[in-house]
Amino acid sequence: MLGIVALSLIALCIFGAGLMAVRSGNLVHSVLWLAVALASTSAMYLVVGATFLSAVQIILYTGGVITLMLFGVMLTDRNETTKIGNPSGRRALGAITALAMFGLIVAAVSQTDFLGGGGTLVDTQALGRALLTDHLLAFEALSMLLLAAMLAAIVVARRRDP
Amino acid sequence: MTVASNASNSFIMSLPSPVPEILTHPVGHGLVMGTIILTFFMLISAWSIWFERRFAGRMQSRVGPNVVGPAGLLQPIADAIKLLRKENLVPSGADKVLFWLSPPMTLFFTLATLAVIPLSEDLLVAELDIGLLWVLAFSGLLLFPTWIAGWASNNKYTLFASMRAVAQGISYEIPLLFSAIVPVVVVGSLSISDIVRYQGEHGWLLFWPLGPGALGFLIFFVASLAEANRIPFDVPEAESELVAGVTVEYSGMMYGLFPMTEYVHTLITSALASALFLGGWYGPFGWAPGVHWMVGKTLFLFFVIFWARWSLVRFRSDQLMRLCWVWLVPLSLLCVCGAALWVVYVGGVA
Repeated sequence: MLGIVALSLIALCIFGAGLMAVRSGNLVHSVLWLAVALASTSAMYLVVGATFLSAVQIILYTGGVITLMLFGVMLTDRNETTKIGNPSGRRALGAITALAMFGLIVAAVSQTDFLGGGGTLVDTQALGRALLTDHLLAFEALSMLLLAAMLAAIVVARRRDP
Repeated sequence: MTVASNASNSFIMSLPSPVPEILTHPVGHGLVMGTIILTFFMLISAWSIWFERRFAGRMQSRVGPNVVGPAGLLQPIADAIKLLRKENLVPSGADKVLFWLSPPMTLFFTLATLAVIPLSEDLLVAELDIGLLWVLAFSGLLLFPTWIAGWASNNKYTLFASMRAVAQGISYEIPLLFSAIVPVVVVGSLSISDIVRYQGEHGWLLFWPLGPGALGFLIFFVASLAEANRIPFDVPEAESELVAGVTVEYSGMMYGLFPMTEYVHTLITSALASALFLGGWYGPFGWAPGVHWMVGKTLFLFFVIFWARWSLVRFRSDQLMRLCWVWLVPLSLLCVCGAALWVVYVGGVA
């Protein structure tokens, strides 16, 4: 019961922070609201007992990705006072997309069998072992993808010799 | 190395038996231990400012604060009262909410890491399975308040300072994480207490896996100095270039929280380094209680940081980045590989 209340409060936090991230016209505020949403997601993992996932969420997303975003904002945006609106103005299309996405997620969640079908809560050691045995190919493929992205970024950002 | 068996003189054992009921309940235990550890770290930090000023005075052939109280010992209290009585000014062009939010956030993220720092076998708030990740996560989050303070102040010096702080922070976080992985790989656990207990049985990690241990400790110490913005890595608040870094526009106690948390963070870093690499609460011989060893090692590393601060000069920004990406990152990767090879070929974890 307490868990349900905590999860609902956290879900409300994620929802509110996500909404503010989209609605606040200030780019820096948006990024910080996104950080609040990601940190709340980590709290949600903590409540359901996935402690490792929760710490990694903080280190990688809130600590890493958001910091890089702030860095990007600092290097590109010079006029912090301008309000950023919706440039296309197609509200109806946006609403339809959002609803379709929501329906997709609800369908996926309702068809998943959570822990009922004999699954167990995975501890950190089992998670690490699974990553390096059963899912090794996916793991390596992902790291190759990240490496390619990094090399591409270096190539794009490299100073060209005249 | 002989192992101190300090089960007989641990903190809980020294309490009158039966153990007070409040310590057996998780919340009561957290409250009591939290109060003890918080008080310890805050008091040490406050008087370390006095110590540092006296120490710097001695190194520079001058006296240092010696007026308030005997040998100037009441100086931290006087400073705190002065800061509390000053007005908290907010610049008119500042982002007011974020400006006010930043100092408490700094304090919160710093003190949150204290939850998993063990001072001895029993003297800790909570023994988390992912204790090390918890500390690293929250010290990584410390970049946020620094950045927010610099941006919200709406001042060019603070903005430069926060850009430098973020660049330095995300760079040095990589060698910090990798060198902290060395004990994790060797011990096979993310819990700080497990890592210390392993060192009690097998010897300090600084010595035993000969290469990765010592090198890992060095990289961890250097990278955490950079994370805590201490000289020679205090480029973000270089007073000769940027006035006072991100704190330029702050006044009163709002300002006071920044240096205070910086000292607490440095102290926590020293405690973490001594727990991960220097055997934590285990000493080379058995007659002193564990908490003495842990506090002694922590204070020694803390002292080394002060020593470096008043002996070395500041790096330039580009030298700082070169040191990190050209030396520390590859070396820390080598360390992790060395530790993994050591685990596979010499001593395996279960």
